[in-house]
Amino acid sequence: MRRPPYPTVLKPYGRALLDLARADDRIVCLSGDLTRQCEVDLFRDELPERFVNAGMSEANMIGIAGALARAGHVPFVHTFGVFATRRPFDQIVNAVAYPNLPVRIVGFMPGVSSPGGPSHQAIEDVALMRALPNLTVIDAADAVEIRQVVAAIVDHPGPVYLRLKRGEIPVIFDEEYQFSMYRAQRLRAGGDALIVANGMMLPAAVVATDVLAAAGIDCGLVHAPVVKPLDAATVVDAAAGVRAVVTAENHTIVGGLGSAVAEALAEAGCGARLRRVGLRDTFAEGALTAHHLFQTYDLTTQSIVDAAWAALGSSDPAPVAPTSPAAVGEYSPV
Amino acid sequence: MDLKPESPVESSGELAELADRIRLRAVRMVAMHGLGYLGQALSSAEILATVYRRVYRPDADRIVISPGHYVIGAFAAAAESGLLDPAALATYGHDGSRLEAIGTERSPSVDLTCGSLGQGLSAAVGFALSDRLRGRADARTVVLVSDGELEEGQVWEAAMFAGHHRLDRLVALVDANNSQVDGPVAEITTIEPVADKWRAFGWHAQDVDGHDTGALAAAVEAALEADRPAVVIARTSTTTGLDCLPDNTDGHFVKLPAELAERAAAELEARLA
Repeated sequence: MRRPPYPTVLKPYGRALLDLARADDRIVCLSGDLTRQCEVDLFRDELPERFVNAGMSEANMIGIAGALARAGHVPFVHTFGVFATRRPFDQIVNAVAYPNLPVRIVGFMPGVSSPGGPSHQAIEDVALMRALPNLTVIDAADAVEIRQVVAAIVDHPGPVYLRLKRGEIPVIFDEEYQFSMYRAQRLRAGGDALIVANGMMLPAAVVATDVLAAAGIDCGLVHAPVVKPLDAATVVDAAAGVRAVVTAENHTIVGGLGSAVAEALAEAGCGARLRRVGLRDTFAEGALTAHHLFQTYDLTTQSIVDAAWAALGSSDPAPVAPTSPAAVGEYSPV
Repeated sequence: MDLKPESPVESSGELAELADRIRLRAVRMVAMHGLGYLGQALSSAEILATVYRRVYRPDADRIVISPGHYVIGAFAAAAESGLLDPAALATYGHDGSRLEAIGTERSPSVDLTCGSLGQGLSAAVGFALSDRLRGRADARTVVLVSDGELEEGQVWEAAMFAGHHRLDRLVALVDANNSQVDGPVAEITTIEPVADKWRAFGWHAQDVDGHDTGALAAAVEAALEADRPAVVIARTSTTTGLDCLPDNTDGHFVKLPAELAERAAAELEARLA
């Protein structure tokens, strides 16, 4: 596993989908007027006969995708996370989730990675999708993982919501990394505290783990890209004996990864103190940069360190997380 | 039982008779409960009779009943067409039955029905698109839509998409019965001019008397010939075909106590005799 700043790549999702679709004519690509932004211009340009631009009509797009899946196609639906989940929620319920159809809904630009304000910031998409029976919900962290996720979900029997960062995608994992639909990744063991993270918060969680270790805290780290079904066994096992658990997600703390971990720990009788890093039941705002929003809404490496420190009940000042400046084309956590 | 599709009925008189048989089966289904979605079956009886004899070929085509409340009519029509064991109709709406009163994934004999209104046209568009992707040039997708559903924006998203892509194997029938839960559609939201709206979205549109089987048969024939998606707006009422229903009947959810149910069945049986 690399350390920040990370190199970045462009369109790992779009390339992975195209590679799969070349060899699998069941795959149909739908776009809601955000084709380049969702990396499927690659698909459109090479396989135009299986590319459907639904225009700005998310409800209709989901209905079409449901019928295509019913007829034996494997539809991948693309738009921003806000439009993928808020607008067609009833359509996802009735045309996809309830009939348990293999529709893949891919929502780009998660949480406050968009500086475009509340209308463009998918802060509760994981919670909405997680609440639906039959849905699998994935918040992928890097380019290596994204490629494997796409391959893993093609033949998954039910619907999937995949949440993806837009633009420059960091390369965090080594090529040996193996994504699993069913197992969370225990990246580091630790007896004092545990951090559980995914998506865009994984890099911050990695650094926070290092910072806590340097301060004498034996801190474990679990990467849980599949929020539903959460691999509760791995989380509970990693939390055994620790005094503090911190979750970190680029999402509201209501209903997402933090909630899923809380449910798993409580049901297992794990008594560790829990802190959830994420949007604290608030909408964000428009800005110039996502960096500013991650800082404003406490989604930083320091936020994770502070949360762990507080949960451990330490009276000393919390250790200070380093900043790891990223050059153009690189990516570092805030 | 051995289910065997009926051969196509040719005359409009036979279609009218089939419509009354659909009504009679619907009366018996609703009579078991004393109330239910009888009005939908009464308004759509001739539409369904025409669809099941003149448009929908079970082996080749797909049928979508967009408003799930109409599935009673589809069950009756399927039972009259050898596609559903008539004995199953006796379980309609009962605990544990797959013949639920509002259509679901368990509903037999239809490719899709939607309890949440306004969604069926998108699914029909998806089926038609699938046939085009697979080169199934002869396959038809037929979808029943209600006029109240036209208040839902998704219908027009789907209509615009189908028009743009000229999905000419798609045929929609709108049961324009001017009935929704809170009263006549016309009093709640003006949807007229309905045919002009569909034409403006790139559809071949016809506006006909939805209880006139001759007019319906001619309209679906023209719809199947059209070089674009086609809609037949069928003007109907939720009480047609049953003179015994009181004037103040709520067409969305008809009360049918035992005595009225007996008179209704007798009226239809006399006409069918």
